[in-house]
Amino acid sequence: MFKQTGAISMMNLRSLPQRAGMSLATVLSIALVVAVLLGFLAMADGFQKTVDGTGSEDVAVILRGGSQAELNSVLSADQFRVLETAPGVATDARGDPLISGELYIAVDGIKRDLGTEANLPMRGVGEQAPHLRGQFDLVAGRMFQPGTNEIIVGEAVLRAFVGFELGETIRIGSNEWQVVGLFSTGGTVFESEVWADIGVVQNLYQRGSALQSIRVRLTSADAISDLEAFAEADPRLNELDILNEREFFAGQSRTLNTIIRLVGWPLSIVMAIGAFAGAWNTMYSSVDARMREIATLRAIGFSGGAAAMGTLIEALILSALGGLLGAAAVYLLFNGASASTLGSGFTQVVFSFSVTGGSVMAGMIMAIIIGFLGGLVPAIRSASVPLLTVHRSD
Amino acid sequence: MNDLTLIRKNLFRKKLRAILLTLSILIAFLIFGVLGSFNRVLNAGVELAAADRLITMNNTGFTQSLPYAYWGRVQGVEGVRNASHMSWFGGYYQEPTQVVQAFAVDPETFLAAYPEFLIPDDQRQAFIDQRNCLLIGETLARQYDWSVGDRVPLLSNIWQKTDGTSSWDFEVCAIYAPSMEEMSTAAAYMQYDYYNEALSFNQDRVGMIVLNTVDPAVNDRVANEIDAMFENSPAQTDTSTEAAFSQAFINQIGNIGLILIYVVGAAFGIILLIVGTSLILAISERTKEIAVMKTLGFPAPRIFRMVLIESVMLSLVGGLAGIGLAALLLKGLATALAGTLPGLAVTGGIFGIALAMMIGFGIITGIAPALNAHRVRIVEALGKQ
Repeated sequence: MFKQTGAISMMNLRSLPQRAGMSLATVLSIALVVAVLLGFLAMADGFQKTVDGTGSEDVAVILRGGSQAELNSVLSADQFRVLETAPGVATDARGDPLISGELYIAVDGIKRDLGTEANLPMRGVGEQAPHLRGQFDLVAGRMFQPGTNEIIVGEAVLRAFVGFELGETIRIGSNEWQVVGLFSTGGTVFESEVWADIGVVQNLYQRGSALQSIRVRLTSADAISDLEAFAEADPRLNELDILNEREFFAGQSRTLNTIIRLVGWPLSIVMAIGAFAGAWNTMYSSVDARMREIATLRAIGFSGGAAAMGTLIEALILSALGGLLGAAAVYLLFNGASASTLGSGFTQVVFSFSVTGGSVMAGMIMAIIIGFLGGLVPAIRSASVPLLTVHRSD
Repeated sequence: MNDLTLIRKNLFRKKLRAILLTLSILIAFLIFGVLGSFNRVLNAGVELAAADRLITMNNTGFTQSLPYAYWGRVQGVEGVRNASHMSWFGGYYQEPTQVVQAFAVDPETFLAAYPEFLIPDDQRQAFIDQRNCLLIGETLARQYDWSVGDRVPLLSNIWQKTDGTSSWDFEVCAIYAPSMEEMSTAAAYMQYDYYNEALSFNQDRVGMIVLNTVDPAVNDRVANEIDAMFENSPAQTDTSTEAAFSQAFINQIGNIGLILIYVVGAAFGIILLIVGTSLILAISERTKEIAVMKTLGFPAPRIFRMVLIESVMLSLVGGLAGIGLAALLLKGLATALAGTLPGLAVTGGIFGIALAMMIGFGIITGIAPALNAHRVRIVEALGKQ
């Protein structure tokens, strides 16, 4: 049986060039289905990777109670000063607390892909801010001088927005800024931001001494409870929300991720039905074209089961080829491609498409299922070819 | 027996093949119908935008506010018929997850700026007169089962009152209906004064200014004049048409148009491959028959035409079924999505494009087999085997 199946499969595959047109159509249509699925999954995975990778366990984000996002929060300079001496806050080598009061402003930038305005986050930060982001690295240039109109720009901003090249002067709203540095934070959300000195931002945007968020590095992840207890006991701080930075970001990718997947899956399943009809049609024609051949094989002793398996294997190989082709195309065209969307802070989050092993598997499984279902009925048909077909004249 | 009967019989002679091809065409047009409608509704803000409405906002970005005094100053610009203002409230009801899109507005000028809000006269007056009045849309009213006279507290995730809380108490005293199907009725509006008085910070600021001009033709001049007026002040402005403002907002989400083109393109690519190759095969199987027809005196152009009509018919059968299915599906989704994407349906415009695509698709897939049939030579075909 195995020998027979093998022989028939090889024969079918060798004769594929005779049915090149339809076979190629099947391969390509399955490739398109898989490409659509993988495109959506790569978008969802890429966004999730960027947002979920942001935030570390031992950094606490402090916001006004109930504000939910940095953009909505307001904190005072007094609160900042009290927190500087709070328990659980780590210090640097010189003994200064690792704390940064920050102001987050959505400003207009011009997106490269559409040429339209989109909200770009500008963050006014204290000098300790780089020490509060795990993988902060100044890739080019230098840090801004406090008190000046100098900015440093995240790598993702440079990818997605026009005019932020090192050394450029850029006009944002009524103010001009000088780009003096380019930074990376290992692919996290912070790379979508532009950083300037907190004092300058407060001044230019008439915020007085108000802050929006305060970040502190904790001595350990558990020290957050010490900080919470301290804030609870102080009337100046007890209205605050103190959040683990990792958790703060973890929730933010969920909605968009769900939406992308909710669109991507049904769409590719519906398209798969179309491709399935095509595969069935192709295999049906393939069996049709080989009627006499199959009847002859049956006449010389090959079993019906082997003929069926031969047809099914042909269908599976065509669909697997299609799946691989689709996956390869998406990987080559889209993997690492930069995209951006509106994140939770009403500003753009720049991320890269990411084709993961898991989604390639999902795509291949989908391709194989299309091939299997499309080949099933034609396979049964080829098992039941009447022997007399040998004598059919056409 | 006329040509059409023959074409019909030919089309369905291999039933399974005809059904499978119809199914794959159906799928492509289903996808086109559904995605096309979604795209139209997403862009409805651009289409619904009144030609004479301008939006003035802080040129730093739309989350930055403008001084209240700007509202008075723009009213004096020549060509401005009506000026109103709106401020984002960041509202929610009871739980932060129950978001209510709420705005603080100046009632009288707001209602003048947006004539598309259908409100009974007495309720319209109540919104103008009653300080704690909340004007809500039909969808929002349905969502929380609110009706006129209900007392509703709304919380803000941005603003705080001088008493330290973030909760404003309202009485629902007006409900608006849409005058166009695509118009959203999920928002709530409150009196600016009632909101502003209680603010502990950011008092006397407005989110953006909405203007109506006397004629769309003066839009550019008015916009330039306003932006020039505030050029040397701390809050510079950026004035654009409502359509441009809506478009910019959609673009923030991403290049949805491009994604849709990719997906619909892939769907049509699939059927083009499948149907195209199948039809070539189907006609080549019929070579002998065509030779017989030619022998009987059927002229080649007539055969060419018959094959082409056959492929267009196939495309129409599958395509119409697909669009029909899309219409049914959207009908089901429309009620569920009335709040976020109102007016979801296959419109005449989308149907027209689909119909043109069906005919075009039928011709593209039919042209090669039709040419083959046209070229069949009696001697060769009948001499085969």
